[in-house]
Amino acid sequence: MSLTSGTPLAVAILAAAGSLAAIVWAWPRLARPRPGYLAARLAVIAVSQLLVTAAFLIWLNSYFSFYATWGQLTGASAGTAVAAQAAPGTAAHLVVIDRSQPGPAPVQRRAEALGAGTEVVPRPAAPGTAGRLLQVVIKGERTGLSSGPGYVYLPPQYFQRAYARARFPVVLTLTGYPGQAASIVDRLALPATVARLIAAGRIRPAVFVMLNVSPLFPLDTECTDVPGGPQVESFLAQDVPRAIEQTFRVTASPAGWGTLGYSTGGYCAAKLAMMYPDRFSAAVSMAGYYQAIPGQYVPHLWGGSKGYRLENSPDWRLRHLPAPPVSVLATSSWVGEKTLPGTLAFLREIHPPMRGYSLIIRQGGHNFRTWDRELPPGLVWLSRRLS
Amino acid sequence: MNTRDRDWPRGRWPGRGREGERRVGPRGMPLLVLLAVLAGALLAGTLWLWPVLARRGVGFVALRIALLVALQASVIGAVFVWVNRVNEFYVSWSDLLGTNHPAAQVAAVAPGAAHDAAVSAGPGVQTLASRQVVLPGARPRPGGRLEKVRFDGTVSGIAATGYVYLPPRHSTASRLPVIVVISGQAGNGAASYGAARVAAAAAAQIAARRMPPAIVAMLPPAVAGRASWGCLDSPAGPQAGTFFSQDLPLALVRAYRAVPGPSGWAVLGGPGGGYCALQLATAPSGQFRVAAAAPGTYTAPPGAGGTVAAPGLRRQDSMLWRLQHWPPPPVQVLFTGAGGPRRFVALVRPPMTVTTARPAAGPASLAPVLDWIGHALAAAPGAAGSGG
Repeated sequence: MSLTSGTPLAVAILAAAGSLAAIVWAWPRLARPRPGYLAARLAVIAVSQLLVTAAFLIWLNSYFSFYATWGQLTGASAGTAVAAQAAPGTAAHLVVIDRSQPGPAPVQRRAEALGAGTEVVPRPAAPGTAGRLLQVVIKGERTGLSSGPGYVYLPPQYFQRAYARARFPVVLTLTGYPGQAASIVDRLALPATVARLIAAGRIRPAVFVMLNVSPLFPLDTECTDVPGGPQVESFLAQDVPRAIEQTFRVTASPAGWGTLGYSTGGYCAAKLAMMYPDRFSAAVSMAGYYQAIPGQYVPHLWGGSKGYRLENSPDWRLRHLPAPPVSVLATSSWVGEKTLPGTLAFLREIHPPMRGYSLIIRQGGHNFRTWDRELPPGLVWLSRRLS
Repeated sequence: MNTRDRDWPRGRWPGRGREGERRVGPRGMPLLVLLAVLAGALLAGTLWLWPVLARRGVGFVALRIALLVALQASVIGAVFVWVNRVNEFYVSWSDLLGTNHPAAQVAAVAPGAAHDAAVSAGPGVQTLASRQVVLPGARPRPGGRLEKVRFDGTVSGIAATGYVYLPPRHSTASRLPVIVVISGQAGNGAASYGAARVAAAAAAQIAARRMPPAIVAMLPPAVAGRASWGCLDSPAGPQAGTFFSQDLPLALVRAYRAVPGPSGWAVLGGPGGGYCALQLATAPSGQFRVAAAAPGTYTAPPGAGGTVAAPGLRRQDSMLWRLQHWPPPPVQVLFTGAGGPRRFVALVRPPMTVTTARPAAGPASLAPVLDWIGHALAAAPGAAGSGG
């Protein structure tokens, strides 16, 4: 059952309200001055409090789009997810599930419906002025991993005659962990913001691919090629770009490919661009970190090798490997971000040909409201660096 | 919001926020304590006043509801502050309520980096020597050019000397496919996999139209010294795998107008290069569609390759493990010699294909291999080949 749909929240709210009403109604029966009745009062208040707290936490989870199903929350599906990566690949590497217009209205998060996919037919029909948002599942040709529900935003120009032969730049956009790709659409409001900035002439039209940073969610793979395990780095940096290239009119040159992400997605945006300058040329890391950290539910992220862990740390790479020819914009907050010291240390290490840029706001926590504010200047910066 | 880039003031950070927000904001310990004490007091009060509020009357019912709601709200408030403390979601009241935010600016970290142009890299290739390849015969004809070059790895930082054969009319042709030949004999002129003989064989096959015009890059497997056996990335050490899978394609695409991979890219493992060829072709970040090597099961990198004490990393260095645990890659493999390795062949599933050839002995053995590679490159990925 979906955790972020309205049903569990409605049930929880009804149960909480019902428990409160029951206490008010049963109040006189528990009023006798004996210890047993005092314990009974305490018990009913505790039960009611639990129900109210549960309703609050379910609402909080829905608001932040952390976990989409109960299995993800408990990690119950972790075992099957690992096994699934060994499944043989199929011919179609990108399947479009759903189409809708980008806008403030939330995208339907129908993880259950993803089984029934249709082949992609990018139809040049009625894209309007906001472009088109496709729900997609990308299957890795080489890694065998599946993206889970993801989104592709095509700008209005993609469907216009003047751009019929144009190849568009692409931005690979990654969530934090835990997170859902849908939160890029309805919490970060990336497609709506992009459509607005394109219409205002502030950024050039580009294709945005929006994915969960952990394709095997709830496994927290930190965009790493896990030794003897899921090859998530190769999936995001090789399989996904190849599938996008084969499906949409996008540029093949690294000069036209960028990454963008928040939190874990910020770490991955920076790391993937630095590891694959043959694929990406610019990265926006919002509230990211720059040292490899252990992932949840993944016991051996680096196969027991300290050296391999270091290789996955942007900080270490800057000190020990040639600086890659990429630009990175790192954002953080002077107040409210644990990532601030790490961000400043990372920026100080950057040297040519790599270029570093900072966007440090006065205050803002590790939340979508902060990233909403950093997104427009980040997109403008990114647009100037992609061709 | 103003997004004009400007130089970053060195050693000085503008616009620090007030640290006081940390204590009184929605993640402060005082607030958490206050809410917890309030919740405890309300709970005690509720239990104490219970009999009083048990009387009949609208006013008492309203008081019950008010007391319960206040208790619940204080507990929920404490839960929220605790969750917010752990996760640092909202740092201040204005952060939580979305009010009063001054604009932020993008700043370039290093002086001079402020201009908007994309970062560009050099080609990563330096030509050390160059000579014509001449096709033998009654009237010798030009057969292209052989260059001795130095590759400077953009990502790996490895600098390696190798050879690049460029077919005739390379400069005017459209982007060409690539054959990477990895062998310990690349620098040995007399050996059958020496650069001069490989270039001569390629020129002859191209002239005879038995293979399409292609760029042939020749490199030793040990590009980073002895530590790079098997073209693997050594953890926190020489990144030989990265050199072959990223730096070399990048350099050949930029400097010699090679077709961007993986379509049109083949790797041929000569003496000492067979493991390299197969490991590069089967890697998840693979840049190659076609591979040829001497028969073998290739369960471990040659020589001292297994020195890294990381079992997880070493396990996937076996080709048999890869074939068992990773999806079959869309590559065509040719085993160039008698006796195809049965365990390897038995694990191959579509779209991967494996072909076993018994080439003629002697110096002419390279020609049929090049023919097969040329044929495989010309065919659609995964469409040609047999066996498997």
